[in-house]
Amino acid sequence: MNYPIWDVSFGAGLLIALVAGLHVFVSHFAVGGGLFLVLTERKAIKNHDHALLNWLKSHTKFFVLLTVVYGAVSGVGIWFTIGLISPTATSNLIHIFVWGWAIEWVFFFLEITSALLYLSGWDKLSPKLHQWYGWIYFITAYASLVVINGIITFMLTPGSWIDVHKFWIGFFNPTYFPSLFFRTAICLALAGIYALITASVQKDKDLKARIVRWGALWTIPSLLALIPFGYWYIREIPAALFLSARGPMPTATHYAFLAWSLLAVTFVLMLLALFTPRRMHLAFALVIGLIALGAMDSFEFVREDVRKPFVIENYLYANSLYANTMPGDGGFTVDNLNTVGVLHSAAWIDQRTITPDNKVAVGHEIFRVECQACHTANAYRGVHQLLEQRQWDPATTRAMLSGLALMHNGVMPPFAGTDPERDALAAYLNSLQTITPNPATFTDGKLVYQNNCSMCHQDHPNEQFFSGIVTDPTAAADSLKDLTSLFPLMPDLKLNEAQRTALVHYINTLRPPAQHAANLPVEGGK
Amino acid sequence: MIDPSMVPTLDPNPLPAPYWLFKLLLLVTFFLHIVAMNFMLGGAVLAVFARFTSKGKEFRNRIFLDLAKKIPVFLAATITIGIAPLLFVQAIYGQYFYTSTILIAWPWFLLLVLLVVAYYGFYYVAYNGKRRPGPAGIVLLVSLALVLIVGFIQSTNVTLMQNPTHWAAKYFASPTGWSNNLSDPTLIPRYLHFVTSAISVGGILLVLLALVRWDDDRDYASYLFQYGGKAFMYATMAQFIIGSWFLISIPRNFRMLFMGDNPLASALFIVGILGTVGAIFLMSDALRKQNIRMAAYGVSGILAVVILTMILMRDILRDAYLEPYFHPHQFAVKTQWAVLPVFLVLFLGGVGLWLLMLQRYGLFASKLPPSDLGPSIDAPAEPEPEVELVG
Repeated sequence: MNYPIWDVSFGAGLLIALVAGLHVFVSHFAVGGGLFLVLTERKAIKNHDHALLNWLKSHTKFFVLLTVVYGAVSGVGIWFTIGLISPTATSNLIHIFVWGWAIEWVFFFLEITSALLYLSGWDKLSPKLHQWYGWIYFITAYASLVVINGIITFMLTPGSWIDVHKFWIGFFNPTYFPSLFFRTAICLALAGIYALITASVQKDKDLKARIVRWGALWTIPSLLALIPFGYWYIREIPAALFLSARGPMPTATHYAFLAWSLLAVTFVLMLLALFTPRRMHLAFALVIGLIALGAMDSFEFVREDVRKPFVIENYLYANSLYANTMPGDGGFTVDNLNTVGVLHSAAWIDQRTITPDNKVAVGHEIFRVECQACHTANAYRGVHQLLEQRQWDPATTRAMLSGLALMHNGVMPPFAGTDPERDALAAYLNSLQTITPNPATFTDGKLVYQNNCSMCHQDHPNEQFFSGIVTDPTAAADSLKDLTSLFPLMPDLKLNEAQRTALVHYINTLRPPAQHAANLPVEGGK
Repeated sequence: MIDPSMVPTLDPNPLPAPYWLFKLLLLVTFFLHIVAMNFMLGGAVLAVFARFTSKGKEFRNRIFLDLAKKIPVFLAATITIGIAPLLFVQAIYGQYFYTSTILIAWPWFLLLVLLVVAYYGFYYVAYNGKRRPGPAGIVLLVSLALVLIVGFIQSTNVTLMQNPTHWAAKYFASPTGWSNNLSDPTLIPRYLHFVTSAISVGGILLVLLALVRWDDDRDYASYLFQYGGKAFMYATMAQFIIGSWFLISIPRNFRMLFMGDNPLASALFIVGILGTVGAIFLMSDALRKQNIRMAAYGVSGILAVVILTMILMRDILRDAYLEPYFHPHQFAVKTQWAVLPVFLVLFLGGVGLWLLMLQRYGLFASKLPPSDLGPSIDAPAEPEPEVELVG
């Protein structure tokens, strides 16, 4: 709202994922591969292994061309992209951590220089001096990870920075060290995996086997180390965030499952490679690389999804609204927008009043400034699909918008704005639908449940939900007339009698038997 | 004038050091970035020219090959140094910078894609220039075109970020990030002003290469000297037309800053003009007398000063454009004393280690006397060129 919103029709989030997803796969290699180069050089010289040394020269060229060119530019690319999509978050991070980034830049400069000198120094420098450049490369590359890790983990767990606003407190935040160890292991694992790629095109089968075995020695223990480090990492994530990432929209859980599965596949394939090292084929090496890429990106998705609805936890929502009122917030807080309204707070909107004629247009603008950081109309995380799937009419949509913060266990920020603005947003959202929903005609209890309740509630026997509704069908159906009396934050959804009856019937079929007998009173729970 | 509320408000975090420190770091690192960029871009222009006029002229082919090997290194330096001004500009001009980049979001984003392609193209030419001169020439031309587009996008962004009055109309016409700033009469002359100065500096690069080869390979070195010296002179003379065009294109009240209204700006302007004229005469004299040292040290020294005055004038112009909105005293400042010294120590240590790396590689082990240009300004360019950083 403070900044204009770049309207990316296919999804701004997708663009960040694309840029960052490929960058991390190269940048972690850039760190681990540095140590790999210098230790492999040492090993080859010690063993008088000329073949290995010759391969290492070509591997260095591959390494430099990939990391210095693509790795470096795509790193700037992430920065460009977040500035375009989350300028408020970027501006905050710059002002909090500009000296961190400046320090990283010093390391980066040394890293690039030493990489170029290491590459061009083959056959020109004494082995000792050549390795000196290799060590400088690795140390400065690792140091840049040490720095950027502080900023990335800060976004997930700013910890007590929120209260004290001190650089080092934010930098060495609760997930700093588990993340650093976790990423270090990734770096070392990738060093071995990338080595397979250049090894696979070697004609000398003995050499190929030596490299594969040596690469596996880097990758296999590192993959195993990811398990305790990953567990440690998860343990340091605040319970509330972690819980919200599970539940009715368990995107993070799905990605976590995917990450561990792909990691296991990578592990198995590396073992296979170890059994037949002489036959390492380029295609096989690339498959291992792609699966490792999938594992790594799934991990990054988990981190991003756990952080939702925030871009900086407990400080800034993904849609650039501050979580709490504070000096200098510019009025861009949920509380202020609820009072003053979006139309009188946002700078980058064209409409300032709502009339029956411009309602949908106003709604579109509100959608752009409040929702489009994550959603699109019809593409990535498309709202159109969600609405049609659930058959929400304007009244339902409007009611649901007031419960956004609870929806999906708290992965969405609350709707911020006045009631007429919420109506306008609902009108716009419903204008996206290509069908005319008529939810009143849905009287199948399961369908009513899925369309109206499942965003927040799980039909799991332990869900509080069951104890919040009496078992007597008539009394229960009556209690659903006014949902806000069950729990004040519930959306004020109006189901017709047939729907209420069907819903109660469905709920009672799921209810654990013990509860039927107890006939619990209506109180507590949401 | 638009409602100033369209200019985004600052975020709640104070500046973590005094404003002047960010400004100083911005100007110093931007200067270094521009020097590296000029070597890269000017080198690429002259390499393309040499390559496509090399028929029957062996020396021109050598110039092409010599330059081709250096361009990737200069591009690496351009990007690596460029990160620092990109950081510091966001620290103090973020409100303007983010907004203008969002208006041209797609070109701004694609800039990096073009850069990666150009970068790999330059490496291709460096590795294959000798073996496959035909395709290498084409690839070099394409890469040059791409970095020229990158430069145009940068000029577009700079002209747009200092004109908040142009924002709203562009955004509300289309929020898809495909705006341009072609309606700004300063854009084209400003861009050409930068490109032409890069060609001048590219000429100096050849003179510096000639200096290194002067004693061992006099024929080729003389040719390099002539070629580079003339490129410098023609490009710099063209600058009088392009620079005047640029000067006329900027609004009168800003133009007058350099013509008396602002004493510092006017002094810089005079020094810049006199330096440019002086550099042309000195180069002409050096070429006539075959005095390579006069050209290499004298002209580059003057040119460094001229570039510095241009960077400072550019900054004064930006702040004049932003004067209705931007005032340094708007910033709350809370210096991060717990981390700023860490940066300064690492920065100094980093410069030391960087010099040590170059020195141990033998890049300073030249027969030549130490240069009187600061090594941090363009060390990769001067005494070292015998060493090929591309394997």
